[in-house]
Amino acid sequence: MLALEDLTIRMDGADLVRRVSLRLEEGRITCLIGPSGCGKTSVVKWLAGVLPPGMEADGRASLDATPIATPHPAISYQPQQDTLFPWLTVAENAAMGLEIAGASRAEARARVAPLFPAFGLGGWEDRFPSELSGGMRQRAAFLRTIVQDSRFVLLDEPFSALDAVTRLRMQDWLCARLEEAPRGVLMVTHDLYEATQMADRILVMAAKPGRIIRDIPIDTPRSERDEAALARIRTDLKSLLLEDET
Amino acid sequence: MAAFRHILPPLLLALAVLLAWEGYCAASEVSPLVLPAPSDIVRALWTERGPISGHALSTLTVTTLGFSTSVVFAFAVSVALHFTPWLKRGAMPLFVASQTVPIVALAPLMVLWFGFGLLPKVLLVILVTFFPMLVSLLSGYAATPQAFRDQLVSMGARRWDVFRRATLPTAREPFFAGLRISATYAVVASIFAEYAGARRGLGIYILSAKNSFRADLVLSAVVVSATLTLVLLGLLLLVERLTGRRYRKAGHVGA
Repeated sequence: MLALEDLTIRMDGADLVRRVSLRLEEGRITCLIGPSGCGKTSVVKWLAGVLPPGMEADGRASLDATPIATPHPAISYQPQQDTLFPWLTVAENAAMGLEIAGASRAEARARVAPLFPAFGLGGWEDRFPSELSGGMRQRAAFLRTIVQDSRFVLLDEPFSALDAVTRLRMQDWLCARLEEAPRGVLMVTHDLYEATQMADRILVMAAKPGRIIRDIPIDTPRSERDEAALARIRTDLKSLLLEDET
Repeated sequence: MAAFRHILPPLLLALAVLLAWEGYCAASEVSPLVLPAPSDIVRALWTERGPISGHALSTLTVTTLGFSTSVVFAFAVSVALHFTPWLKRGAMPLFVASQTVPIVALAPLMVLWFGFGLLPKVLLVILVTFFPMLVSLLSGYAATPQAFRDQLVSMGARRWDVFRRATLPTAREPFFAGLRISATYAVVASIFAEYAGARRGLGIYILSAKNSFRADLVLSAVVVSATLTLVLLGLLLLVERLTGRRYRKAGHVGA
């Protein structure tokens, strides 16, 4: 289990995020939802060890009750922006995390090679990101994240740049991949539909200062979820978020 | 076809200028001592091909040595400044100030300090070409998207890894732009260094031609120096193309 306790992030003397605590379990998707500016991305960046220099943070992260410093090999991170390196091929991009972790180029390529078909990228290994569609680029980014074999994955609005149809397809696809290779996932999203479809647990954040105001578990397995029940959760979420804005 | 479209307009324009020049010389009967016609220059170039090519070779040696040393030096300094912010803050104003020293003042001083050999000329080329390359490298480094750095750091990359995998590739395009600017300065700087004092080179050739009122020979040397610059630029373009397939696919990168 990856635990984050009492995280406070300050910028220009003001609390951007105040005393946020959360726990991620392996095999479960936790969605972090909240209005713009509530600090969702900052929480994820802190866990990834890439908080911007202008921000100060106090907080503790622990892995199976052992305190850890971030970045940590057990945690991989996929930022909001498309960070496929445009001068590297899909295969080179996918293997990058493994190479940084110490694998030789040949070892890293050998490990990613069998995964391309499952990620819908078979035959595209030697192409460059500019030659891929939005959905393919996103799958390549997921491949790079998943292949690192970290126990926990942080995804910052992974579907925000995709069109509606691709987004729906990619949500189902990612859930299927995560069922094959379970990880503890923390996913930032703005999309209530996405959160209720994918999450095992939804953490709702409010802004000024950013804090968690509700923890909503969804215990029903994804395949058995009843649309009416999800719609009720979405209505609750909507009123929570609107209430906070007023 | 695309290359043809690029080359044709400057060729036609140059041809038009040369024809107008030739026509003006023929019609106005201006003395060839003052303004030689392009045909006079071509004739002089042919007659003097032996001496001019010897001097051009000397200029080419100075340019190549100075420019290549400058590239290595600019890259080494840029890396040092990138990894040592306090050094960058301290050194940049000095580098900027060094650019305000006029080349006409520097060239004779170099001859005074280091004599008539190769060293003062190579140093002058380095001084003139170093700064544009340094600035283009540093601005290229600074343009590295933060998201790329974050992605690498979250994977456990060290500073050098981030530099090698994200910063350096981002700086490639601005670096080549700086390289092209410096290349055009390099030949001019060599000629100026020779002009200030040398035994051989296009600079000293131009000086002696000027002193003999041979405008046709001065302009012949100018044609050769322009050709040298174009060849240097062409070579750089070739290196950029040969080494850059994956970067052409990448398009523009940078914050």
